[in-house]
Amino acid sequence: MNYGRARAATGRLERRLVDGLDGEVSRRGVLGAIGVAGAGAAALSGGADAASESDGGGGGGDHHGGFGAAGEYGDGFDPHEFLRTFNTGYDGQAALDQRVVEEDGQRIREFDITAVDTTIEVAPGVEFEAWSFHGQVPGPTLRVTEGDLIRVNFTNGSRHAHTIHPHVRNTNPEMDGVPTNGPGVLETGESFTYEWRAQPAGVHLYHCHSLPLKAHIHRGLYGTLIVDPDPERVREHPEEYAPFHASQITPALREELVAEAKSRNHEYDENDAVDELVMVMNGFDTNFDGENEVYAVNTRAFAYGVGETDGRGEWAPGETKRPVTIDGQERQRVYLVNAIEFDPLNSFHTHSQFFDYYDHGTSLVPTHDTVDTILQTQAQRGIIELDYSEHDPGLYMFHAHQSEFAELGWMSFFEVV
Amino acid sequence: MATTRQWTTAVLPLALLAVLVVGFLAVGPLAGVESGSALPDVTVTHATMPNDETVTLHVVNSGPDAVTVSQVLIDEAYWTFDVSGADATLAPMERATVTVPYHWQPGWDLHTTLVLSGGATVGHTIVAPQQTPGLTGGLLWTLAVVGIFVGVVPVALGMLWFPLLQTLADRWLHAVLAFSAGVLGFLAFDAGFEALGLAGQVPGAYEGEVLVALGVVGTVLLVNAAAARGEGATPLRVAYLVALGVGLHNLAEGLAIGGAYALGRVSLGGFLVVGFMVHNVTEGPAVVAPLAREERPHPAHFVAIGALAGLPVILGGWIGSAAGSPTLGALFLAVGVGAIMQVVWEVAGLIRSTGQLGTRTNLLAAGAGLAVMYATDLLVAI
Repeated sequence: MNYGRARAATGRLERRLVDGLDGEVSRRGVLGAIGVAGAGAAALSGGADAASESDGGGGGGDHHGGFGAAGEYGDGFDPHEFLRTFNTGYDGQAALDQRVVEEDGQRIREFDITAVDTTIEVAPGVEFEAWSFHGQVPGPTLRVTEGDLIRVNFTNGSRHAHTIHPHVRNTNPEMDGVPTNGPGVLETGESFTYEWRAQPAGVHLYHCHSLPLKAHIHRGLYGTLIVDPDPERVREHPEEYAPFHASQITPALREELVAEAKSRNHEYDENDAVDELVMVMNGFDTNFDGENEVYAVNTRAFAYGVGETDGRGEWAPGETKRPVTIDGQERQRVYLVNAIEFDPLNSFHTHSQFFDYYDHGTSLVPTHDTVDTILQTQAQRGIIELDYSEHDPGLYMFHAHQSEFAELGWMSFFEVV
Repeated sequence: MATTRQWTTAVLPLALLAVLVVGFLAVGPLAGVESGSALPDVTVTHATMPNDETVTLHVVNSGPDAVTVSQVLIDEAYWTFDVSGADATLAPMERATVTVPYHWQPGWDLHTTLVLSGGATVGHTIVAPQQTPGLTGGLLWTLAVVGIFVGVVPVALGMLWFPLLQTLADRWLHAVLAFSAGVLGFLAFDAGFEALGLAGQVPGAYEGEVLVALGVVGTVLLVNAAAARGEGATPLRVAYLVALGVGLHNLAEGLAIGGAYALGRVSLGGFLVVGFMVHNVTEGPAVVAPLAREERPHPAHFVAIGALAGLPVILGGWIGSAAGSPTLGALFLAVGVGAIMQVVWEVAGLIRSTGQLGTRTNLLAAGAGLAVMYATDLLVAI
């Protein structure tokens, strides 16, 4: 990030803010002095630039640029940190107990996850009573390699009964995490160990499947489960990772697929060259009307937006609301999951950019070539490969192209440096 | 005279209550049985549009707990905003303005929503927004001129029927009085329904409907108490009472005009002003009819009666343009209803003192009063 430039912009905005506040103070003084409420009072200030800068600090001075949530977030969940945090059993979040063990030659990635009730901040100053995995929404991102066994030691510390249902090819119905199978729902204080085969390769999700389903999902019980392709397996069964018959796979195509698998797999050096980002599109119905008041990627509305803008080309990052900084010379890969409730569809749109999209991430050739908008229904997910190497440094928007969702929080920026 | 003993007995329960309240607050014996907290009760009473780049929402917290306005939506989009006062938290019964820099389009509805810290939302729709004129000298003058035309002039014109009234036979004078009662009766219904309508917009804690009932009954009791002290209902006294009732009604009319004008909701064009003039000219004979059988009172009485009936339009217009508060509006309207009910009672008494009340002529005249007012009311729908 270009901190020098950001500092300069902040300075400019601060000066403007102070100028604006002066006007504000005198206006209040006038109002206090004459002690007239309501229409007349507001009208008296009409001559001055009553709008000036916002105390809330969300947007800025211009009346067309003042959109966005006012204010900054408090402590707690950090969407910027979450973006690049993967729990592999080898490493990940310090607070999440995880390990890798081997039994009979089978590698097992083991995670201890507890469901807890907590309060999260979904827009600056707006609190939401959440049900969560590991005290965070979205839950921890789990990352394994194709063929591993995923073992989740689940404990329910919430006042409601919960399960974990995985979106993988799970061949044992007892492990499906639904009320009718295996242990069914787990009451408060109960535990169960889920084991799932890591297949197929792709980006998947896990979520609670207790009823009522809408409530259990939209209250926050969901997370991302990434299964990286195994390059050796790709070399042996390339046709399973591409929309071709085995007879159509040329040696060159096979090498391409293996190379893509290495780039995807966190255990290979090739993967280090890619900046990988997890984005869970979610929403929150804060007033129980069956519609979301807040939309976001990774829970906090506008958290990947800007702190301040005058709507005339100047902007500054905020403490908690700031763009996702990316290196233009690096490749970016977004693991995109749609965990929205109440709305059937969500979308992802990049400004000034076209990308390749791998629906569900289950293939190693793109399912959509050169698009700038993709659509996902509830629980759909996919991988987006971005390349900003030819773009000038600066801000590039990305957001849901349902304008309503964007203006209610699902509005973000990449800052290419 | 009250003895010391009487005073002691009177004060003792209150003193014990005070001790109990203090003790209760200090000890808090019910701390363990409190269940949750009250729901937030926040109302946007109205919105003003000081210029085409600003929306101002007038907010009151009627609930028992403090609330914080954390975010503001305009047409389902988060927008920056500024809350008046020290911070965005409103104490119980605190009022505040939420100013949103928003480039709105005249005539295009805006759906605004306050998002409170707990996620509850408070909606307010600004229908067909227009710029709010603002409380300026120019506006006060405009409302004064309008008040003179819709209040003072028609009442004064109506009073010019007084010489005619003096020459009428009892039967026809009674008919004119009954007609006035019909006019007043219409005003009572009109203002009563309007008051109940406004009561719906009154912030919860003020209990709009109960406030209206208090206004009506309280006024009847007060006017009766005032009348009971004097030596009975002389015609001059009745005339003043009629003028007071009409004046309170016109005050409420002024509130409506001023409020609508201040919110940019009405154009004070010729048609509306003419409508009010036609509507209010019937109030003139109503206020002077009680005097028809008297010695002609001093002209100063006519001026005073006319002013009492007509001038409150101006005052109402000023108050309405400044406050724009449904609570105040409902209360004034209710007081007007109470006053009019009392006046109708007095007018009936006046007829009864010199003749029979329930004659066919009188009943038809009262009905005609209602009908004429209904017809002319169509001209003045704001």
